[in-house]
Amino acid sequence: MRIAMGGVVVRVLVAALLLAGGASVALAAADAPEPRVRVELVSEVSEIPAGRSFWIGLRQRIEPGWHTYWKNPGDSGEPPRIEWTPPPGFTLGEFAWPHPDRIRVGPVMSYGYSGEVVLPIPVSAPRDLVPGARVTLRGQASWLVCEKICIPEEAPVALTLPVTSGEPRPDARGAALIATARRAVPVPSPWPASFSATRETVTLSVAAPDLASERIAEVAFYPAGWGAIENAAPQHVRGGTAGLTLELARGPLPNALSGPLEGVLVVAEKLDGGVARHAFVVSASPIAGAGALSLLAALTLALAGGVVLNLMPCVLPVLSVKTLALVRHADGHALTLRRHGFVYTAGVLASFAVVAGVLLTLRAGGAQLGWGFQLQSPVFVTLLALVLFTLALSLSGVLVIGGRFTGAGQMLAGRAGYAGTFFTGALATVAATPCTAPFMGAALGYAVTQPWTTALLVFEALGLGLALPFLILTLLPAWRRALPAPGAWTVRLQQLLAFPLYATVAWLVWVVSQQAGPQGVAAALAGLLVIGFAGWLYQTSRGAQARWRRAATLAAIALAAVSVALGTLAGAASAGRVATTSAGWEPFSAARLAELRAAGKPVFVNVTAAWCITCLVNERVALGSRAVSDAFARNGITALKADWTRRDPSITQVLGAFGRNGVPLYLVYPAGAGRPPAVLPQILSETIVLNALDKETP
Amino acid sequence: MSHRSLTRRTFLAGTGFVALAKAVPAPAWAVGAAKVGTAAPGFTSTATTGQPVSLGDYRDKTVVLEWTNHDCPYVRKHYETGNMQTLQKEATGQGVVWLTIISSPPGAQGHVSAGEADALTKKRNASPSLVLLDPNGAVGKMYGATNTPHMYVVDRAGTLVYAGAIDDRPTSRKADVEGAQNYVRAALADVAAGQPVKTPITRAYGCTVKYL
Repeated sequence: MRIAMGGVVVRVLVAALLLAGGASVALAAADAPEPRVRVELVSEVSEIPAGRSFWIGLRQRIEPGWHTYWKNPGDSGEPPRIEWTPPPGFTLGEFAWPHPDRIRVGPVMSYGYSGEVVLPIPVSAPRDLVPGARVTLRGQASWLVCEKICIPEEAPVALTLPVTSGEPRPDARGAALIATARRAVPVPSPWPASFSATRETVTLSVAAPDLASERIAEVAFYPAGWGAIENAAPQHVRGGTAGLTLELARGPLPNALSGPLEGVLVVAEKLDGGVARHAFVVSASPIAGAGALSLLAALTLALAGGVVLNLMPCVLPVLSVKTLALVRHADGHALTLRRHGFVYTAGVLASFAVVAGVLLTLRAGGAQLGWGFQLQSPVFVTLLALVLFTLALSLSGVLVIGGRFTGAGQMLAGRAGYAGTFFTGALATVAATPCTAPFMGAALGYAVTQPWTTALLVFEALGLGLALPFLILTLLPAWRRALPAPGAWTVRLQQLLAFPLYATVAWLVWVVSQQAGPQGVAAALAGLLVIGFAGWLYQTSRGAQARWRRAATLAAIALAAVSVALGTLAGAASAGRVATTSAGWEPFSAARLAELRAAGKPVFVNVTAAWCITCLVNERVALGSRAVSDAFARNGITALKADWTRRDPSITQVLGAFGRNGVPLYLVYPAGAGRPPAVLPQILSETIVLNALDKETP
Repeated sequence: MSHRSLTRRTFLAGTGFVALAKAVPAPAWAVGAAKVGTAAPGFTSTATTGQPVSLGDYRDKTVVLEWTNHDCPYVRKHYETGNMQTLQKEATGQGVVWLTIISSPPGAQGHVSAGEADALTKKRNASPSLVLLDPNGAVGKMYGATNTPHMYVVDRAGTLVYAGAIDDRPTSRKADVEGAQNYVRAALADVAAGQPVKTPITRAYGCTVKYL
């Protein structure tokens, strides 16, 4: 019947019988002569090891065009299950679910399997079993299988195996099937994930900066539960320097996002020989407050955040000095004062527009950036430290730049003073960069998920908040009457205010140390030293003869340029960051390999890179396992790790020797000089590695 | 002065953005425009009696919408145990309007003529107020109905107050009807008591609606 009749004929027949009346109902279900799914239990061992755990699997072979379901079936459907009647002492665990596919039926999205799937099941056997006795694991499997129509099917499943007290013999067929299935079971994500949500969207960010986006063929997110996202909506994926971003449509369940967003991320990576899919368990934490922000709330928060920025140690001194300048000229005209207020505000808003513009342009280009992205660059951080240090020196009175900044009051009435005020606004913006005010995170988190016009508006609200206190002071000059008369206290206060700036500089140097290591710190400190010397040179030459003064000024400018160059050097140092090596692995070098081979020692070579997902997963599921490191130790194998993250030419040569131009590459050199290595597949399981080690280095 | 007018303009620009965002049409994948807690979308469809039926005809009445496909094993679970019929009788007995909707297109599982639909009602001893035929899936897509059975409750004010499964046992096993928590019954009780529905949204389970 199976051969003679096409599936369509059978279905029409079944449908006709169903329409005929309730009596034929049973046909579609369990007693259907032609199940759409053929199931069987498979085992990785052909003997049950007493007192130990092992894996069995429910193998489903599904008729073409039909599908069964994942643990979260999506918009409709039902996951399979087995009701066990376990022998005494046996424990049968839950399915370890291999990652599913997206299966679209009209406007409905299902998550499931087609073709063939094995659902691994952990079994633990009791200790008190009689060796040689036969044990049967028995259960009733039930599942839903759908094409356009859905049919619940069920069947008894059983597996009979003899008991052994020793090492169980593997079942070649079952072990291979289960190993493949377990390779598809998601592993914990090595990257932190977060999400933000609006009423319409959920933005899932996976901080995987090492991933090379050109190697990623496809990304899909499968939610663990129903209601958080719209299953059928397209998922827009962007890759960038900070990792992956998925724009998802928000689902109907309002409180589904009150906790973390759980699910499975499947990343398809292009390899030399094809595409490999890797699945990761993701638990994305919500970005605080960004959840239900309306535009108005975001603007309000940004405004408040901007106001709070004024109190930050990096901004406060800049503004205080400007304010003091106003105090000194308490007799200044109210109109002039007000104009300065507006010019300063314009300076802040223009600078924010520039920062936001750069940020949004880079994001549009696919980079995953947030506020403070500038601080990810050690060059920028170092330059910021140099600027703030110069400023601090001038507040301390070590250096007076043309009487211009600190003495801006003198120019307050003059036309040129407006340029200085505009500059102060820009400086306040730059200085504000490293400080994140409490309200800013939520508002800016919202902004970056919005269209650019809205995002810009939020940024400008932040700028307006930053400018607001100063603007108000200029608009309401009455406050100045409350202050004591200008005098020595203003100078003291100014000198005191230098210290928050020095503190900020110290913090920035620490940031550089994180980004660029000791070399970066050395370059930054040298830059600060040069700035200090240039300032002293410039200051002491005041009152000297004109040509000396000119020479000293030029020298100071040249030195400032040197310090900028040193700042850039700090950035270059960051490229020298060394990838961490894991325990048990020696760094690869051609010389070390040659030395070991000459001595006839067995060697395992792992050619890997931080941006290679396949490598990462292999290291997690296979190479990093206890059994593999035990096997290395047992067989006296030296494990060499060749890190190609920075395209080391000596490693490129190794790859070329084996006809590869990309990672991963795994080589097992057997004991005995001159014997050629075995090349392992690019996708490893523990079994593959252990078998290869046993075969090559018995 | 100039400062003040600037602020107002900025504010107006802000509200303009909000309006713009709301005017953007729903994307093509968005099956359902219906949202729990908002007004249930109005529709006009044809009943098996031949009469045109609009949701608006039942203002001041509580309305239950039931998506069905009589061959779907999950629908059969609830009809062959009498679970669905009991709920229909209970609801219509309290003055609730029960609309059973069939969105299967011709040739797909569950598609029936008006006569066949009425015969099914009679044979199964069902008591919907009316059975609506929606072979082009227009009403189904408007409500985002993905499953059979898929249940909706609209209160007297015309607000959609429940969308989702009939109960909390997402299986096709008839034995699971006994002891299940029936979400629709609970929602109808909340509506009758003038209280907000405690569980307004659940994951519907069953067969996919066979849209074209």
